Amino acid sequence: MLKDKKHIIAIFSVIIIIIFIGVIAGIFFSPESFGKYGHYRWNANNENASLKMVNQNINTCKECHESIYQLHEKDAHYSVPCVDCHGAGNLHVEFHKSGDSTNISAKQLAVMPKEFDFEGCLYCHRKLKARPADFPQVNQEEHYKFLHITDSKTKCIECHNPHEPIFLLTDVKQSRIHPIINRCTECHSKNPEKSFKEVSDHPAIFECKDCHKEVVNDFNQKPHHKYIDCRTCHLYHKENETTGRIYKNGNAKFCLLCHEKKPFKDEKYPPKIDWPSHIGNLSILQKSDEKICLSCHSEQIHKMDLKVKENPHPKNWRPEHKDFAKEKPEMCKRCHTTNECASCHLKNKPQTHNDSWLKGHSIAGEKNKTSCDFCHKQNSCNSCHKVVMPHPKGFDELHKEVVSQKGREVCMKCHKENFCGQCH
Amino acid sequence: MNKIERRKFIKLGLYSTAGVLCGSLFAFSKIEQDANVDNYEALLKFDWGFLVDTTRCIGCGACVRACKIENNVPESYFRTWVERYEIDKNGNIRVDSPKGAIESFKTDNFQSEDIVKAFFVPKLCNHCYDSACTQVCPVGATYETPDKVVLIDKERCVGCGYCVQACPYGCRYIDHEKGVADKCTLCYHRIQKGEAPACVNACPRSARIFGNLKDPKSKIRRILDQRRYGQLKPDLGTNPKCFYIGLDKEVV
Repeated sequence: MLKDKKHIIAIFSVIIIIIFIGVIAGIFFSPESFGKYGHYRWNANNENASLKMVNQNINTCKECHESIYQLHEKDAHYSVPCVDCHGAGNLHVEFHKSGDSTNISAKQLAVMPKEFDFEGCLYCHRKLKARPADFPQVNQEEHYKFLHITDSKTKCIECHNPHEPIFLLTDVKQSRIHPIINRCTECHSKNPEKSFKEVSDHPAIFECKDCHKEVVNDFNQKPHHKYIDCRTCHLYHKENETTGRIYKNGNAKFCLLCHEKKPFKDEKYPPKIDWPSHIGNLSILQKSDEKICLSCHSEQIHKMDLKVKENPHPKNWRPEHKDFAKEKPEMCKRCHTTNECASCHLKNKPQTHNDSWLKGHSIAGEKNKTSCDFCHKQNSCNSCHKVVMPHPKGFDELHKEVVSQKGREVCMKCHKENFCGQCH
Repeated sequence: MNKIERRKFIKLGLYSTAGVLCGSLFAFSKIEQDANVDNYEALLKFDWGFLVDTTRCIGCGACVRACKIENNVPESYFRTWVERYEIDKNGNIRVDSPKGAIESFKTDNFQSEDIVKAFFVPKLCNHCYDSACTQVCPVGATYETPDKVVLIDKERCVGCGYCVQACPYGCRYIDHEKGVADKCTLCYHRIQKGEAPACVNACPRSARIFGNLKDPKSKIRRILDQRRYGQLKPDLGTNPKCFYIGLDKEVV
């Protein structure tokens, strides 16, 4: 038996009393809802959730500014939300939704900041190595030099409408990958020696003049060629409907980026016009006319007749390509896939060319030889007939020599044994 | 005399115990009738996750500016910021984030011809599943909500700064004006109203993606299922919930 039972009981009583006091104090002093779903104050969650929203969603802006929203939605800045340039907009929305127009101080606060000069634009568009190469970037100094802008403090918005920015690609996508080629493996059979992470790192494999020789040659004699190149105005070849398209479909806004008369621009270069009075001054044009600059000025740029189908292949390419493909199949494969051969040679064979075609084709050949020439080469008859087919005019007088040279077997392929006896 | 006192003492003890038990029963029964229970269960359906596509980020700092205004973040502190990594041909690495990139970046740090690789990495609170900051808080002011967002109870916080030191990602700061710790809340007030966080709302390149990880149809879930991604400092066992596409080995 323990000697000092009393002491132990006393000590334990004290401990238990302290615990009791602690529990009671815990209940009284711990804040409401503490420990309800964990070791935290549950009400704090509602407090955190009930703060006011500041940055507005683009859909809120759309409710009132529908027309600007529509314009913005269609152009390159469609993914840039309103708040990025115009500020959070909470006071603006609050004021205009309250309907209380008498509160002047609230009205002043509700004005959106629009002080974004070029610094604001350069937040996104300043040329930096760390930016993805396919993102449009500009070196402000070079850009102004190129455009002969004299005042270096000119704001971007003087020329570019931020809701409808028309931009010129400069260094983006240097490489010109062929429009027909979609995959690396279509050109590279083995693993290529060097891998190109960015498409723009790939060396150019075609030049615009490869296909549009006439146009490029013509362009090189016109004034524009000293200052700009094809890509300044034309979008790259793409798979979709933008193939070869000019920016803004060549509407005046695009040409005016360089050619509109503005106080901050050099007066002489490039040549300037007053806008929109330019249209009004010319009696031939009505203001409502949907003319684009090219309607009048196309001659100063380049030939507009593209004739793409003749380029790069000559006119009579179709019947001749067979020999070329046999000799240099690798050349074809630079642009075309082998599937493309099958698209004509298997499926698109004329329906008349069935198994019995060989017997009856002479009739069609005599009737309309040009339809044969569309696919077949001029001398393709020779490979079987060994003579000019169909027989040219005056052949009946010449046939004696042909028979003596090439033997009767050549004739017997088509003509029956007793054919000679009809005359001889 | 002694005997009587002991009896009295025991009586007193028994009565007080009974009183405490009754009192606590009464107190607990009151809590269980609370109307917010539904809210709690509703929140369990969510697990908010964040995804950053570093290959798309252009370092414009729109997110930083939007966050600053949305949450009234004090000067010189940031809840989200954008870091820039530049590696030159000699293997030198420069990492910078001037003013958290609130005014974007002005120039390249190396000669631009020398740079072989450069990219931006936006950073924010990772809202870890096993967050260090929640574990060290001595007063239970930092907590994880049922929808898995790490938040701060500003009434409860005593501003001791343990959490600021514990966070391996440097995402916390002490708001000296209020004397409490503060950090990214994933804009809890916005997401509870069905809006995206301010930085996601402001991003012009959709480099920031936010959504419910428990919803198999959400955009974030679909991307995480398809693409390869990384986390920051995964070896620390914090189990961060902010995922990065195109994360480089140099990024810490």
